[in-house]
Amino acid sequence: MALRQSAVLAAAAALLVLAALASIALGSTTIPLGDVLHALPLVGDGRVDAATDQIIDNLRIPRTVTAIAVGAALGVSGALLQGALANPLASPEVIGVTAGAGFGAMLLLLAVPDAVALVPLSALAVGLLAAALVFAVAWSGRGGGSIARLILAGIAVSAIFTAGTTMLMTAYPDRVSSAIFFIAGYIADDGWGVLEHVWYYVVAGLALAALLVRPLDRLALGDDVAQSLGVRPRAIRLAAAAVAALLAAAAAALAGLLGFVGLVVPHVMRMAGGTASHRFVVPASALGGAAILLIADILSRRIAAPLALPVGPFMVALGVPLFLWLLRKAV
Amino acid sequence: MSAVPPDAGTPSPSTAGPGPGPAAAPLLEVRDLRVRIGGREIVHAADLTATPGRLVAVVGPNGAGKSTLVRTAAGLQRAAGGEVHWEGTDVRQVSGRHLARLRAFVPQRARVPDGIDVREAVMIGRSPRIGGLRRPGRADRDAVEDALRRASALELVDRQLSTLSGGELQRVQLAVGLAQGAPVLIADEPTSALDLGATATFAQLLRRLAGDGLAIVLVVHDLALAAAIADEVVVMADGRTVATGPPSTVLDRERLARIWRVDAALRTDDEGRTALDVAWLAPPAA
Repeated sequence: MALRQSAVLAAAAALLVLAALASIALGSTTIPLGDVLHALPLVGDGRVDAATDQIIDNLRIPRTVTAIAVGAALGVSGALLQGALANPLASPEVIGVTAGAGFGAMLLLLAVPDAVALVPLSALAVGLLAAALVFAVAWSGRGGGSIARLILAGIAVSAIFTAGTTMLMTAYPDRVSSAIFFIAGYIADDGWGVLEHVWYYVVAGLALAALLVRPLDRLALGDDVAQSLGVRPRAIRLAAAAVAALLAAAAAALAGLLGFVGLVVPHVMRMAGGTASHRFVVPASALGGAAILLIADILSRRIAAPLALPVGPFMVALGVPLFLWLLRKAV
Repeated sequence: MSAVPPDAGTPSPSTAGPGPGPAAAPLLEVRDLRVRIGGREIVHAADLTATPGRLVAVVGPNGAGKSTLVRTAAGLQRAAGGEVHWEGTDVRQVSGRHLARLRAFVPQRARVPDGIDVREAVMIGRSPRIGGLRRPGRADRDAVEDALRRASALELVDRQLSTLSGGELQRVQLAVGLAQGAPVLIADEPTSALDLGATATFAQLLRRLAGDGLAIVLVVHDLALAAAIADEVVVMADGRTVATGPPSTVLDRERLARIWRVDAALRTDDEGRTALDVAWLAPPAA
């Protein structure tokens, strides 16, 4: 890997570490950085008062880990899809998973509010179901597995689930306010609750993404060249899209509908690193996605503290100027 | 099909231009091939043989099935009938990975992605030789450099693919194929979008590679070019191979009139110049 790409990875990793420390230190109450370092599991010596230790262990660290997991999952999900579909506009929205997860969550939030604890699970399950529907349509029949068919199937299936969500909102207008945080994207302050059930989807998705790096690079020169190199482009595309769906559905279960990270972070990293090689873009998108979501989450907690705002709008406010600046430089 | 002794050696490298050369065992043999695409039979009966050191040009009118024949021979398309054998083994029994070590396929126009430089692209061509999760090593980097040198593309090594001209891009595509280290190179109309000079450069490269012992199958529209560089010409019409042999024998006036429906004659001189004299405005031959 060239020096420039190694430097971008190192910078993104450093930014992520700093943001993680800041995320643990800053919140409705500020904890001095020294206390944070003392209280850190594995590396800290535990010399910190019990109340601070409690806040760090039970609230701040789970929240920080959740933001890292969600940011990394969405960044990698977008990088996989943009590579697999050879389309810079690809993101988890394209394969139906976002619309499906939205419907899954809204179904419980609006129609069965007593089952609110199952919202993440429902978002995950319906998100994956929507993606499976898209894949079933896209990979069936003659010409199955083509990029155009996948994108068109994704748009159609997304439309079904979006219409379902709209009908739910029309049917239960008085409950819509309870769903705003899910729609806007949020990081909850509920400790390890959801993460405990979802972390293995994220870890499995990231591990599988690492295995897809080289096959995806072989798609770069088109399907004919890829086939000449002994790989099956349609199988790789399906595998990459399935892993992207898993990561995006897990992210939706943890943090609602954060639409921006998956689309923009891979672009930012490609422009920063000066290469589209997945060997760089996939790990860089994981680090970059995690860092930007953490920083946005810190802002969302601090700006109207002690009131915590949804993280989605902050992430857009933070990421769009950076993205537009890079876009101007690149084109 | 000519009888070839199984122990025939590969021809010694030569740069003397087209010529029959000593016989070697064929690496690719296609017999009586049939191919259906979208429920329609495109190729009805086609034969093709690729032998080390020889350049075979596949020619024929638009829609004759040339590309379908070579794509199916390369294993990119499934056959509906007939035989495709690689080193004597049915292509259906050969894994994609093994096939990648036997033949490289250079498409007419490959995708040109943003953010990939020439070195990265040619390293992608090397990937069938880099197993599992192994990282590219010194031998792989040397192989990439060698492929670029053989394709006369070494000076482009640090350029982005998206900044290359048509001729440069085709030389890089050739290098991607050569990096596979396969003994057979199949190229589907690689010169159809190139200007005269770039076409001549590409033709010289292919001829030199055949001289170095590579078996080359080239789909080409330009009959004068085919006549200049090919050891053997395969003529396709309506999904069938209708003639196979040396260019001067196969591309005669009567066949040009029958297959291409033009009044044309191939002219060659002792210095390797070829030309097609075409009565462009004459009515099509009956």
